[in-house]
Amino acid sequence: MTRDRALKRAAEMDQRTHLEIAARSLPSPYKMFSQIRAYLLRRCEDMKTRNNSIQLLKFTQSKGVASIVLGPGFDKGLTPQHFHFDSGARLSFALTLRESDGGSQLVGFRYHYQLPDQAPASASPGFLRFDLNEAAHADALSEPRCHLHPGLEDVRLPISLHDPFEVLDRIFFVLERSV
Amino acid sequence: MPDFPSQPFVEVARRLEMRGEHSWLAILSSRGDPAAACDDLSTELHSFLQLPTRVVPLRGSSFQILREQLHHPEDDAVILFAGADLEAGEWSSLDTMRSALERTGPVVLWIAPDAVARLAQFAPNIRSFIGTSIFLAGAEPGIMTDKERESRLEELRQHYQLSDQEVARRAEAKELPPEPHFVEWLVLLGRGDLV
Repeated sequence: MTRDRALKRAAEMDQRTHLEIAARSLPSPYKMFSQIRAYLLRRCEDMKTRNNSIQLLKFTQSKGVASIVLGPGFDKGLTPQHFHFDSGARLSFALTLRESDGGSQLVGFRYHYQLPDQAPASASPGFLRFDLNEAAHADALSEPRCHLHPGLEDVRLPISLHDPFEVLDRIFFVLERSV
Repeated sequence: MPDFPSQPFVEVARRLEMRGEHSWLAILSSRGDPAAACDDLSTELHSFLQLPTRVVPLRGSSFQILREQLHHPEDDAVILFAGADLEAGEWSSLDTMRSALERTGPVVLWIAPDAVARLAQFAPNIRSFIGTSIFLAGAEPGIMTDKERESRLEELRQHYQLSDQEVARRAEAKELPPEPHFVEWLVLLGRGDLV
């Protein structure tokens, strides 16, 4: 009974996320791509580690839906396609947007921030991943639509809806400065 | 085609930023849809310089109108769009009003590649504003290539042990898991209609 109530509350949270996505209009997919690239170039100017953001960030679209990606789809170790931080951490991400009235709406995203491979034990967890699923899961308690993996693949903690820049802000200005 | 270096618009925006105020630069473009290409440049200027960006057509614009447009406001980014080419008289008129064209915000003169000779001949002062900063509109470096798309698809197939056909079938049946990888998979397959 208690879990049923928890499930109901989680489903209501997902519904709020759904409404928030519908209410939040973003620039067109190509403008988002351009602005994210400019964001990464700016961050690179502040860092010692060099990244060729112009080559790393990729854009593709199909029938009104676009994906903006950087790095591999699954983190299986360091690659030249990752965005590299001064700390030795690395970032890969992908986000999908749907064109809407000259702008766009979020469909989903996945930002994987992997801590340095040689990080001290105190730097645990090994990774943090911000996910926005395309739709609600049947078990909204275990898999909320917008969630954070705190270094555990099977643990998904609900987070408030972040737009693509707000996730990057947390990675660059909070996580990276804490490693 | 004149022998000028090719630069993607994002690099053009970076150059303008490095130069600071009062910068001039020319883009030579023969792309099929100049309005769309101009819009792409406008997007990059806006993203990188974080300035409002306007496209101002040169053809048919009077001295007063142009001066008004360039100075109100005068600190945003402006793309002066010359289209295919201007008549000799139009270039000369533009040249005589060069002082009125000086402004704080950056100016990009958008012209066809074969218009450079007439620019130099009939508007030498404007040409001197631009100096060596003439670039051919380069290809956008961030557009995913077929090879890159296939590589990502293969990564997804390997991880989930599913074929593209099976993913499309499950999407049509509304049976795909909600994970973000699957919407990306559909976009890579060219099946954005199933998202």
